[in-house]
Amino acid sequence: MNVREFALVAFSILAQMSVGSFIILGVVHLFVERRAGLDQADQMRDRALLAIVPILGLGLLASLLHLGNPLIAYKAVSKVGSSWLSREILFSATFFVVGAAFAFMQWKKISTPTVRNIIEVIAALIGLVLVFIMSQVYQIRTVPAWNTIATPITFFTTTFLLGTLAVGAAYVANYGYLRRKDADCAEMQCSLLHKTLRWLMIAAIVLLGIEFLAAPMYVAYLASLGGAAATSAGMMVGEFGLVFALRLILVFLGVGVLSVFIFQNAAVEGKDQVLGYLTYAAFALVLVGEVLGRFLFYATYVRVGI
Amino acid sequence: MIKQMAFYFNASACIGCKTCELACKDKNNLPIGVRLRHVFEYGGGNWKKNDGYWIPNQIFTYFVSSSCMHCETPICVEVCPTGAMHKNENGIVSVDKNKCIGCRLCQQACPYGAPQFNDEKGVMAKCDLCMDLIDAGENPACVSACPQRALDFGELSELQAKYGTVSGIDPLPDPSLTHPSVVITPHRYSALSGQGTGKIKVEV
Repeated sequence: MNVREFALVAFSILAQMSVGSFIILGVVHLFVERRAGLDQADQMRDRALLAIVPILGLGLLASLLHLGNPLIAYKAVSKVGSSWLSREILFSATFFVVGAAFAFMQWKKISTPTVRNIIEVIAALIGLVLVFIMSQVYQIRTVPAWNTIATPITFFTTTFLLGTLAVGAAYVANYGYLRRKDADCAEMQCSLLHKTLRWLMIAAIVLLGIEFLAAPMYVAYLASLGGAAATSAGMMVGEFGLVFALRLILVFLGVGVLSVFIFQNAAVEGKDQVLGYLTYAAFALVLVGEVLGRFLFYATYVRVGI
Repeated sequence: MIKQMAFYFNASACIGCKTCELACKDKNNLPIGVRLRHVFEYGGGNWKKNDGYWIPNQIFTYFVSSSCMHCETPICVEVCPTGAMHKNENGIVSVDKNKCIGCRLCQQACPYGAPQFNDEKGVMAKCDLCMDLIDAGENPACVSACPQRALDFGELSELQAKYGTVSGIDPLPDPSLTHPSVVITPHRYSALSGQGTGKIKVEV
């Protein structure tokens, strides 16, 4: 693998993390608003929302590094009618524009909350379609390891797993900021943070379960197909076996182990600092794990034919 | 009149000299590593013990000169996001270098490894059946160069009438994947795609 191939790992991970974060932020906001009102919900979310913009922007820039001729990258949207890659670029750009517009409007409180909500829902739907489209780019009938249902399953799992943990980390950072700025207003935010983190950890554990079921089934299925598929499966357990194992271990440590401690610490008061470190650590472990997983996805590419 | 231009390859005549590869490289001025025509050596068999002696057991080898097959359903065109990869009115699949952004998805998808990345130019290179030579009434460079007359080209239906309809022998992929516009005369040891017992020999 070289820079051009790592560019795809960076782009797909950052784009999926952005979609996941955007949607999780929206869902949490919905519940928090009911519980504590719009002001508190906005305070909790809006900085995290803005943070998505540069992260996704970075991902889009990274995708340019993949190209041999990035100066005419805009031509990639010319075949939306036939090419999934074309659709991927179109939807990535659209998600960026609509998502950023929403983040900006939310930040400056432009227009009414209803209008902003509509834009948010549109952006979230575009994001979901984008992740689906990303998985379809790899449904290539000559690459059996990619051309399976495992591709959309893992892409969506990565999207929401990274989204959940990134959002958790963002809430912690945001809470720290609020407390430094104005200790009084932070009390409500503190209880919201604790409660939200517990729900996020439950979601993460479910996603971990899906990932841990899917990974061995996927390898076994590829091995059973023979030919190029079996070659890919062989690479996953042979040449790249260490990466495959490390990926699962890191995600397990991040979600399976740390989430228990996060859950416990979130249940009691006065453990904010520990809770913060744990949440950051969980996010970091899962991010590295998912990056390794995506690296494997590209590294175990084997095409039929010559 | 002409709907689909195609190559013909005679595996029973090819001696694996790779003159076609060199002619292609020369004509297209290709850098090291880019091989728009590629000769593969395919072989199999083993030795078995018979009465205390080792004797050859169905040992065989033959050569396949492969290039772009200008497929009826070209997967490179399907995946291309820019339209750079396209099929023209003669059925020739080629890449428009002014549109290609070098994403290499066509390379990842093509089961013949036909589109190849030209690192010097940042865009894909691919066999265009020497359409400039054809337009001038000449043969493609590889066809002209073959000392065995193992390569030919022409209208697909005419080639099929002349040479039959085999379009996939090992190690070439199953023709049902992309419906290649090619006619092959098999070698006496070659099996249809996917049914062979051998493997591609490591190149030296």
